Amino acid sequence: MRYSCQLVLLLLLLASCSKEKVTSTVTAMDVPDTTAQLKYSGKFANGQYGTTSGTVKIYVKANVYTLVLDSFMVNSGPDLHVYLSKEVQPLNFIDLGVLRSNSGVQVYTINGMPDFKDFKYALIHCQQFNHLFGSAIFQ
Amino acid sequence: MKYFVLIIFFQASFEVVFSQKAATKSTSQLLDLAVTAGSSRGAVAAAYVYNWQKGKRQQWDLGLGVRLTTAFGTKQEYTTAPANISRGSSIPFIVVVSEQKTANWDTLVVQRPLTASLNATANIGYHFNSKWSTGFNIDLIGFTVGRKSPAVLISNGVTRTEPAAKRAPFNILLTGDLDYGSLNSEFFIKYNWNEHWGIRAVYQFVFTEYKTNTIKQTAPDGTMVDRFRNKANNLGIGLSYHF
Repeated sequence: MRYSCQLVLLLLLLASCSKEKVTSTVTAMDVPDTTAQLKYSGKFANGQYGTTSGTVKIYVKANVYTLVLDSFMVNSGPDLHVYLSKEVQPLNFIDLGVLRSNSGVQVYTINGMPDFKDFKYALIHCQQFNHLFGSAIFQ
Repeated sequence: MKYFVLIIFFQASFEVVFSQKAATKSTSQLLDLAVTAGSSRGAVAAAYVYNWQKGKRQQWDLGLGVRLTTAFGTKQEYTTAPANISRGSSIPFIVVVSEQKTANWDTLVVQRPLTASLNATANIGYHFNSKWSTGFNIDLIGFTVGRKSPAVLISNGVTRTEPAAKRAPFNILLTGDLDYGSLNSEFFIKYNWNEHWGIRAVYQFVFTEYKTNTIKQTAPDGTMVDRFRNKANNLGIGLSYHF
């Protein structure tokens, strides 16, 4: 009985621990809409906690903005998100979602019509630990 | 009057401390460890309970105790805590049944919450027979320590980063959303397989609170809100040792 209780306690502890999400290493091959108009672009620079390279581009078509990561690469990390941010260390930001892959071409739809004079950074950011992996400023 | 209250208090304390050996049949003491889990969260609670057994068959337990609850999780949602903003009424007890003003709620997603709360508890129980019993316990007052954590405040679609949200330090039960801090409560069914050991099936309802440091919610009345509450329903088991 004693060992049964210990086993149940252990199982409960394990059940409550969720595995940390680590970004997929399978290269993404999204296909951007070539008829959309390129509005802004920027090159990624390394953040304090990551090595990031590639280009970010903002396209617009029929008042819908999309963000494209092109020739993109970042080292693996937990809970990496794609942000549009007013600051290079994000305080005010728009979360475009979890980074789907740590390399390749990726397309993210932007809800609404943010002012890119304010949201002038694209960031790869570890949300869970508030760590910056990479940033690009729109030109 | 003041001295009368003091005399009553000391007499009651004396009774609690020194009646243990003289009246072992009408009181009981136990230690308990409970482990509970919910969605991406869990809690471990260690408690000491002192019960007075009441009723013709001494089937009722009424008691006090002390409990250390450690609650943890990832990406837990905390909503606006102050009752005068989050509920239709902030009058004690009425607050429990008052309307939820969800339009006033903002959400603080605490990325890695971890709190340890030490609280005094109140307990009530009923024994069906020598093996089976049921009961309820609730935290009353205490304090909390815990880990600072990054958090994301979502307010009317705008997202902002709080680099280091921290736990609310003090806890007190004031009914419903008037409560402050981190408070645990449990409903349980217990099976005693011998004189000393029992096992409990536990439903746990636990409040935890985090406060923002650098950013705040601006409520519709202009109040700046920095306190946010998570309400978690967990299930688990407990192991009790009766002295």
